[in-house]
Amino acid sequence: MTNNRFFYCALLLTIFSCKERTAQNTPPPAVNNSDSPRVTTTIRYARGFTIDYHDNYKLVHVLDRKGDLTDTLEYLLVQKGHPTPDGHAKAQVIPIPISSFVAMSSMHVGMADFMGIAERITGLGSLQYINSPIVRANIKAGKTIQVGLDGNLNNELLISLHPGLIMAMSNPEATTAKYKTLMDAGIPVILNAEWLESTPLGRAEWVKLMAALVNKEDLVNKKFDSVVRSYDSLVQLASQAKEHPHVIIGMPYKGSWFIPAGESYMAHFIRDAGGGYKWADTKGVGSLALNFEAVAPEALTADFWLNIGYVDRKQDITSKDPRFASFRSFSTGQLYNNNKKTNDIGSNDYWESGAVNPQVLLADMISILHPELLPGHTSVYYKQLQ
Amino acid sequence: MQLTNNQRKRKDIKLAALCLLLIGAFFLDIALGPVRIPLRSICRIILSLPGGDSTWQYIVMQIRIPKTFTAVIAGCGLSVSGLQMQTLFRNPLAEPAVLGVTAGASLGVAAVMLAGGSITTLYTIRELGLSGSWLITIAGCTGAAGVMLLVILISKAVKDNIMMLIIGVMVGTVTLSIISIWQYFSDPELIKDYLMWTFGSLGGVTGAQLYVLGLATFLGLVISFLSSKMLDALLLGENYARSMGVTTQRARLIIICSTSLLAGSITAFCGPIGFIGIAVPQMARSVFATSNHRVLIPACCLIGTTLMLLCDVIGQLPGSQAALPINIVTALVGAPTVIWMILRKNNLSIFG
Repeated sequence: MTNNRFFYCALLLTIFSCKERTAQNTPPPAVNNSDSPRVTTTIRYARGFTIDYHDNYKLVHVLDRKGDLTDTLEYLLVQKGHPTPDGHAKAQVIPIPISSFVAMSSMHVGMADFMGIAERITGLGSLQYINSPIVRANIKAGKTIQVGLDGNLNNELLISLHPGLIMAMSNPEATTAKYKTLMDAGIPVILNAEWLESTPLGRAEWVKLMAALVNKEDLVNKKFDSVVRSYDSLVQLASQAKEHPHVIIGMPYKGSWFIPAGESYMAHFIRDAGGGYKWADTKGVGSLALNFEAVAPEALTADFWLNIGYVDRKQDITSKDPRFASFRSFSTGQLYNNNKKTNDIGSNDYWESGAVNPQVLLADMISILHPELLPGHTSVYYKQLQ
Repeated sequence: MQLTNNQRKRKDIKLAALCLLLIGAFFLDIALGPVRIPLRSICRIILSLPGGDSTWQYIVMQIRIPKTFTAVIAGCGLSVSGLQMQTLFRNPLAEPAVLGVTAGASLGVAAVMLAGGSITTLYTIRELGLSGSWLITIAGCTGAAGVMLLVILISKAVKDNIMMLIIGVMVGTVTLSIISIWQYFSDPELIKDYLMWTFGSLGGVTGAQLYVLGLATFLGLVISFLSSKMLDALLLGENYARSMGVTTQRARLIIICSTSLLAGSITAFCGPIGFIGIAVPQMARSVFATSNHRVLIPACCLIGTTLMLLCDVIGQLPGSQAALPINIVTALVGAPTVIWMILRKNNLSIFG
């Protein structure tokens, strides 16, 4: 243990240096200086998109959920001032680097912040769920406005904004029909499917698509590689754990309990953090709709209860349902929620910066499940319910 | 309305058979579930004999038994309130929802769930000292009571019951469209929570809530039993009822109150559960071939409870870990049953 301490300190330093850089409120760099149109990046973890590099343009495919090429969306990212290549009739053309864009999900805000281009967000689906200090300052200054969520997009407002791109949150199986007016008006719409990625690194890797749109491959390669390095060394660290304490996730509602399936994002986190998960062998990347009774035997004996839901105190759990007090994790107090970074307007940074900092999330989870492996670690996103 | 000895005997046999069926369904519902527990262990747990697995004890005592009692309460309440509505409006398609009470409860719940992000955030509601499941329930009851008051006020101005029926349906439609507007402007996650509620569930009522729901339903049923003579008279037409000394206005008020209490509280606690209210009164009339409410009300309780318990058993999809929402199962089971009964008798009458 002791001879490894230096390694852990170094590890922690890398985790947090990454994080701090994104949080700093530095003035935006001039658009072209740090850009790197000639540098390429490769996708290693994400299954939902591909980038191919050509002279003066990049070809992006957003694949459907199964990852095959039958029903994909094609985007031509053409360097400004260069002609659009032929042979891609169905592709949407996006002149890059984009100087402004509209984001529909807090995950996109997190990615933009990670890339240091948060000031280029000129419109948001909803202003309610934002953490990024840069974006919040822009909202206050009126430089970032609300354009409406999926159901009631304000098309006229959107078109008058002239954004370089709208980054919508949808899976490619969903119809693009509701964005047709916008596409006809010459505004490219990317349907991001990062939330369908089943691995933490895969989800975070969508930041490379953001980088490709602003020619910042050089920067993303450096930053994402450092995320991967910290993540991998944390996985290595957690694998030393001798025991695998069992974890339950979420809370039943009206007798049904939605449990993350074995190949889901959350199940990957639990495995990587050295936790035991009863549903680890189930198929699927979504969640399993189980009966409360089917989960009860595991819930009664599991050591930890994570991501409990909309609760802040132990008392909130029993007021939802007094039966939860019989859970082992409840009596030992091992209850942790992912809402430590919820700000004054009720927006949880877990969904924003958390998505691009999986190494921080993993460090939090390891320090919860195996505190002896990361001594002195202060949780960033997780807090214990009192 | 007097029964002959022979008829009475046959009625008693039928009631006894239904009771047996009910007891069977009751124990079946406790015995079956996604976790397989041997029958002997279940009996030991129910009789609170010492020993045995503590997980099994938790499942039986904290999950299955509250759910089974909720099924009994909801089955009784919904079918009796359906019977009352069919009699009051002399229409075999009437059900508890026609007065808009269910829609009112939904509005209350939607107000709490969907407003969670806008005017009144859940944080401010928590400041008021209400939290968790009680909040939803109180909102549901308030919504149901609000719509009920509106309907009662209108009913004072309206003489004809059929007009009353139309007004009830219209009030319900307006209420539902208010909910739709709300949904249209809400976040998808909030809508998902609300959708989950509309699927209906027997599994979310525990502890003190079960007692409150039981008490409210018991009160509604007592009012209903006491007014069974009035219901008989109403069935023969308002003129006849008047000649028997039943004031239609007052009868209507009492029936609306008891229906609102039954359907409103059950909807607030369990979410909307459809079909029991329409189907069970038909079955009761068909089985007992009578329109006497002193027979029909207990018959509705027995059949409604049995049907609800069986639907819960089916909804748990024995052998699987998942469960179907109760509102889906009642419709899937109820509709074919009613169709079969109509085809068999080739008539659908509220006169038995």
